[in-house]
Amino acid sequence: MFGYAGKMLEVYLSTQKIKTRKLEPDLARDYIGGIGFNARILYDEIPAGADPLGPDNVLVFSVGCLVGTPFPTASRMEVSAKSPASNGFGSSNSGAFLGLRLKCAGYDGMIIKGQAQKPVYLLIEEDTIEIKEASFIWGKDAWESIDLLRARHYGAEIILIGQAGENLVRFASIENGYYDGFGRTGMGAVMGSKKLKAVVVRGSKPIVPADPQGVLELSAKGQKLIKSASSYQAFCAYGTMNATIPYGGFNALSVHNYSRGTLPDWKQKAGRQIVDIYGSRHIACQSCIIACGHLAEINEGKYAGTLVKDMEITPTVSYSSNVGLSTEASIKSSELCQRYGIDMSSSGSVIAFAMELYQKGIINKDDVGYELAFGDDDAAFALLRDISLRQGIGDILAEGVKRAADHWPGADDYAIHVKGVEVPMIDPRGRWSTWTLGMLTNIRGGDHLRCRNPVENLRYNENLYHYQKERFGFKKPMYDRLDMPENLKSAAIDLESDTVDIAIMSKWAEDLINLYNSVGICIRPPVMETIGPTLLAEIYTCMTGIPMSPDELMMGSERAWNLMKLFNIRHGEVAGDSKFPRRFYRELQSGNIVDEDKVQAVLEQYWQARGWDPGTGHPLPETEKRLGI
Amino acid sequence: MKQKRLYHNTSLCDGCGLCQLVCALEHCGQWNHYQSRIKIVNDMEREAFYAVCCTQCEEAPCILTCLMNTIYKQPGSDITVRDLYHCIGCRACELACPFDAAVFDVIQEKVVNCDLCGGRPLCVEYCPNHALTYDYPGDQADKKRNQAALQRFGTSLLEVFKFSGKEA
Repeated sequence: MFGYAGKMLEVYLSTQKIKTRKLEPDLARDYIGGIGFNARILYDEIPAGADPLGPDNVLVFSVGCLVGTPFPTASRMEVSAKSPASNGFGSSNSGAFLGLRLKCAGYDGMIIKGQAQKPVYLLIEEDTIEIKEASFIWGKDAWESIDLLRARHYGAEIILIGQAGENLVRFASIENGYYDGFGRTGMGAVMGSKKLKAVVVRGSKPIVPADPQGVLELSAKGQKLIKSASSYQAFCAYGTMNATIPYGGFNALSVHNYSRGTLPDWKQKAGRQIVDIYGSRHIACQSCIIACGHLAEINEGKYAGTLVKDMEITPTVSYSSNVGLSTEASIKSSELCQRYGIDMSSSGSVIAFAMELYQKGIINKDDVGYELAFGDDDAAFALLRDISLRQGIGDILAEGVKRAADHWPGADDYAIHVKGVEVPMIDPRGRWSTWTLGMLTNIRGGDHLRCRNPVENLRYNENLYHYQKERFGFKKPMYDRLDMPENLKSAAIDLESDTVDIAIMSKWAEDLINLYNSVGICIRPPVMETIGPTLLAEIYTCMTGIPMSPDELMMGSERAWNLMKLFNIRHGEVAGDSKFPRRFYRELQSGNIVDEDKVQAVLEQYWQARGWDPGTGHPLPETEKRLGI
Repeated sequence: MKQKRLYHNTSLCDGCGLCQLVCALEHCGQWNHYQSRIKIVNDMEREAFYAVCCTQCEEAPCILTCLMNTIYKQPGSDITVRDLYHCIGCRACELACPFDAAVFDVIQEKVVNCDLCGGRPLCVEYCPNHALTYDYPGDQADKKRNQAALQRFGTSLLEVFKFSGKEA
């Protein structure tokens, strides 16, 4: 089979059995790759009501089908399992070099089932697969473990969990090398529950495209398109840090557990100029021409000697504004989170939640053991350690804000989560957009990365027509070059009134991002602005030799999204779960609250656009039939 | 006659590995990171990425080592080329290369090196940051000198010389 490696690895940890599964051509065509494969496998193989931390849960890693080509940003792979945080579809995406290495070892993905008796790690060297004993790294942090594993397996790519994953912290992450990770929805806890410390991958098999010359030409075309994007230059220089100041200006930051919308010293503390101060060089993932990652270095002061790949908006907002730490402390927090193997967004939210409870007197010094205050880095890092090692109060907080709030009466008002997953970054009270609706509609709970308007305009912040629309604000050439079917484009974007319809755009944006996660490319704005299904369908055909039209490709992505929704419904999600935390509806922030009824109206429009029941949010039988699920 | 060569600027390289991909695709029609004639080494201790590629040495150790005399300088240029038909795949040149730039091609089971794509290196064309350049050795040195002068004095080398001339 061209383009794909052609088989998937199946590991049964309980019985120590290893099998390979042939990649069915139907699965490849209908679900494309990456998250699409994960959706199908999880839906078929996890029984209803399975314990996310039990042996029935299945952990699936899948590589996007374009990984291995020079197509810009084609490096991503997706991990999915039933999430211990949301009890629904858990999924997380990461780049760097692992996806390519796994594909070169000869596998499109690995399916990990069962539970080992004692700590193990998995060694994949092309056809030699071994389950090896891992007591020498169990209990050690992620960076130490990588060094020890690299000493044994030279030049290997490694994914592993830190202490947080071992201790089943519900928002533990899987670390991908030193600096990258599969952060959200607690995939590290699933790996920890299987007693699988690490996966070590080496391989040098070829990936054979059907039409190598065509792939090269289309990759060059993709490179040219991305370089012509309006945000390309800024993104190359500052990465996602470009957005910190606009969001601070909109009062849309999560400051001190969402009690405020911005900080007076935000611009000095977290404006993009800090990249110039601390950043030393750019680091790219495989095939990336943007290289938004920066190596950040602190040379003097309390945290001298820290060296991390950081300067991303998510950890910065999480620790600089939500916990209120200084810039240097927030860079240090990245190192700690990567060592413990814990999700930066969720851990920041949980620490901010504990700090607010302390401030409000719901918990006190006897409960914690030390004083907690916003902006106190020593306390924040002590709490981070306690959560990762499940010591003292950390044992309760390690369950995530939703479950921890049940321990203290009155704490529920301060728990900021959607479907059990902590909400990072943006406050819908400060800015209402496709992005904020995406937190409700997201398949993996309160998260911002699966629905983003491809042409989001950060210059304007207007809440138009009661949550229905957002400002488009670009000129006609931008509209013309946007790769979207004409009828959908004219329905979603109205040039006369200069608005974007949020419900219709949400559906398109989710399908587009899901398509990116299936083919394995990145969702950075320069890519979203320029690369659409037309080019992807062409390169998919060149890569695999399977004829594919843009519509079919989008339908494949929509099929996977619907399947994930059906997975969630089977595992107990109801329509009432799609709502913001109470604080957003009740407590004023810069004079705004979120209007519950109007949000519900937009949500129903979105369900309708998806072909789901407007009352319950379940996919309708005709939608399932159209998609052929 | 001097030939153009491949140069890599570590301070511009992001380590994306695109050069490896296009090299392997061009030469083998597939991606396989052992097949690429250029290698990007990720040295996190020194915070840098290095490109390892055939430097087209004048007195090349690979030429001296080869028992079958299959490695030679292209007539009329100083590019190292190989006669793969007579190569026996002993991999002695791979060991002899001081730069680790000779690559064992697992398809042909012979050792190969960078052939500069016949004068139009694809890796240079695809490099997004222009970290790889294809240039005459002397020109490259001049450019580097000028760049150093720009960084140090904020002006081109010519201006620096003029200025220092006035001072003297």
